[in-house]
Amino acid sequence: MLFNSFEFLIFFPVVTLLYFLLPHRFRWLWLLASSCYFYMAFVPIYILILGFTIVVDYYAGIFIEKASGRKRKLFLVCSLVANIGVLAVFKYYNFINENISVLCQSLGVVNNIPYLSILLPIGLSFHTFQAMSYTIEVYRGNQKAERHFGIYSLYVMFYPQLVAGPIERPQNVLHQFREYHKFDYTKFIEGCKLLLWGFFMKVVVADRLSIYVDAIYNNPGEHNGTSLTIATFLFGIQIYCDFAGYSTIALGCAKVIGFELMTNFKRPYLATSPSGFWKRWHISLSTWFQDYLYIPLGGSRVKISRNCFNLFITFMVSGLWHGASWTFIIWGALNGLYLAGERLINEARKNGGILSRIQLPRVVATLITVLLISFGWIFFRANSTHDALLIMQKIFTTSGKPYLSDPSQLLFSLIGITVLFAYDLQNEFFVNKNILINNRNVVIRNVTYASIVLLILLIGVFDGGQFIYFQF
Amino acid sequence: MQQALNNRTGRLLYKLGLLAVIIVGGDFLLGKVLRYWYFKQESGLLYRTTYAMEVTHSDALIFGSSRANHHYHPAVMEQQLGMRTYNTGRDGNFIFYNTAVLKSILKRYTPKVILLDLDVYTFNESPENYDRLSALLPYYKTHEEIRDIVELKSPFEKIKLQSAVYPFNSLIFKIAVGNTEMNKSRKTDLNGYVALTTTYKNDIQEYNIEEKIDTQLVKSFTSFITSAKAAGSKVFVVVSPIYYQYKRSQTIGLARAICQNNRVTFWDYSRDTALQQHREWFADRAHLNDEGAQYFTKLIAEKIKQEEQQ
Repeated sequence: MLFNSFEFLIFFPVVTLLYFLLPHRFRWLWLLASSCYFYMAFVPIYILILGFTIVVDYYAGIFIEKASGRKRKLFLVCSLVANIGVLAVFKYYNFINENISVLCQSLGVVNNIPYLSILLPIGLSFHTFQAMSYTIEVYRGNQKAERHFGIYSLYVMFYPQLVAGPIERPQNVLHQFREYHKFDYTKFIEGCKLLLWGFFMKVVVADRLSIYVDAIYNNPGEHNGTSLTIATFLFGIQIYCDFAGYSTIALGCAKVIGFELMTNFKRPYLATSPSGFWKRWHISLSTWFQDYLYIPLGGSRVKISRNCFNLFITFMVSGLWHGASWTFIIWGALNGLYLAGERLINEARKNGGILSRIQLPRVVATLITVLLISFGWIFFRANSTHDALLIMQKIFTTSGKPYLSDPSQLLFSLIGITVLFAYDLQNEFFVNKNILINNRNVVIRNVTYASIVLLILLIGVFDGGQFIYFQF
Repeated sequence: MQQALNNRTGRLLYKLGLLAVIIVGGDFLLGKVLRYWYFKQESGLLYRTTYAMEVTHSDALIFGSSRANHHYHPAVMEQQLGMRTYNTGRDGNFIFYNTAVLKSILKRYTPKVILLDLDVYTFNESPENYDRLSALLPYYKTHEEIRDIVELKSPFEKIKLQSAVYPFNSLIFKIAVGNTEMNKSRKTDLNGYVALTTTYKNDIQEYNIEEKIDTQLVKSFTSFITSAKAAGSKVFVVVSPIYYQYKRSQTIGLARAICQNNRVTFWDYSRDTALQQHREWFADRAHLNDEGAQYFTKLIAEKIKQEEQQ
């Protein structure tokens, strides 16, 4: 089920209302049943894959806890193999096979390995990573194995974050399923505000921008460098609003019933460096890779060359996590290079010299970061590496009038972007100034909520509008 | 404790009530304003739909999508047939839209000649066919006859249409422009027809779609021709020229069969090589330009005339 669907507008209040009406002992069951329904609204059969990983990880957790020595590791490896195996089959099999074919072709050999014609289960990478964090944390001794099968299933399947995160850690969420959440007025209101803002980001900004971006990026050969440059910057905003919008709605849904999920986005385009950007963008995934890949590789407590390598590898794997395509791998590698470069510059600054004397104004640092990140988005959004290279070439070599099929599309986008950045700037620089949405005056506050609702009705995009991150 | 709980519940209900009043009131007022300005337009794309559904009394009517709108010149038709002609074709709107507009027209009067232009892949399944029904939302409230078609958009359309603003979603700038003089000089129409003035530069290529037939679209097409015939209009279904080649079109096969069953004239120009030799008559691979439209309209009008005389 999509958050931005009418079905969800019925599903959400019914789930919430019944959650509070039910006795505490039945609430987990209700949430689990609702989550199953939510997931099965996409492709029902795929719940079996989810069920498989849940059963494997549930028992793996218990066995890891009971075992000692090598056996512990063995059970962890079993769990990881099962999870990564599912990912490999459903997400990476055809990509690997495709590359084998190319390799075979260059060697003059025929690749007879068949291709699989299967759909990628929605949100597979998200719930697989969440499940993996559970067994790893049990192995590390940071989390007790969950004995209640239903509660564990809910940890993986909790509907607000089931298909696009945030990718939670067991320490943060598992205990919340056991706790009694009485109706909390403040949390309810806060949750509703998050829901409203999330819908605004998705329906008014992301889906509107996607109309322009898709038109350009799906036919890069037909457009000039000016249009491609505009589309690239707009895609940066689109994907921010698409994904942060989803996460905000997820946080809101959970908060309304008293659950706290981790913040996934903190105004990333106001970061002053690539590393700062990644501390603000998809935080739950960045910290996942930090905890389970970057630090085990040695993190930053190694030689600088090794540290740069660790950063590069971590981001390349992160790219691969996003999609089984070379465009995503290049995008990850590019961001890895940014971070490695930043690390080297910081090291050079520490050692004195000219670099240590240069202090960029915040606005300049932010602009440079936006430029670098936006350049990376070319690979993320392009339909193929060929398209990405063509787009880059055209951006740097051609110009002309920007493509403008329907001026009202851009005007609507501008309205959305203005409201978005006003909101983000206020939260970044004037945290305690409650101008509109948190204004103390109840009338101003309500008029602000109503204006957002009317703005959604007036200029939101209601047709189509899948969440980009679902494909991951 | 109980009192505190009651107070909190009361506070919440009061605030939710206040918010609901502001939202409903805002929606009502804004919706009224938008409705007023929408129907006050006197030119432009949105106005042409209103004109087609509520005003025209032309003897001959052209139906279809952008291809109909840019391919049939009413003045040429009038000259050849001696009938007042109006072109109701609208960019990006296909058979659902055409059937809805026809229903509204037939409620008012019966045109003598109805020409429906079909695209090569009209019956191909696509969510866009349903999304684009949004063009009819402003008329839902006042045109009972089109409601069943509009409700195909989604199972919740009826509920969504309780909002007064929703029918005018994404239209505010178009409505604003439609109420200015600027609109009239922007894209002039001649009885609904909008001329394309560019010339296609590319060579003819092959363009194929693996069609998945949407039975709802086929039903709508059948409903279009049967209701037009039942009303007493002479119906012509035409696939106008394209500047690409294709291997197979299930749409054309189906449409031809349905027309045969209903004794409706069906002309297919999608593979007409004589027309395709004139690249200068095309604005792009799917549309004729003004020069091409004038030629093609004359050709069709003459054929209609011959049919009428038989």
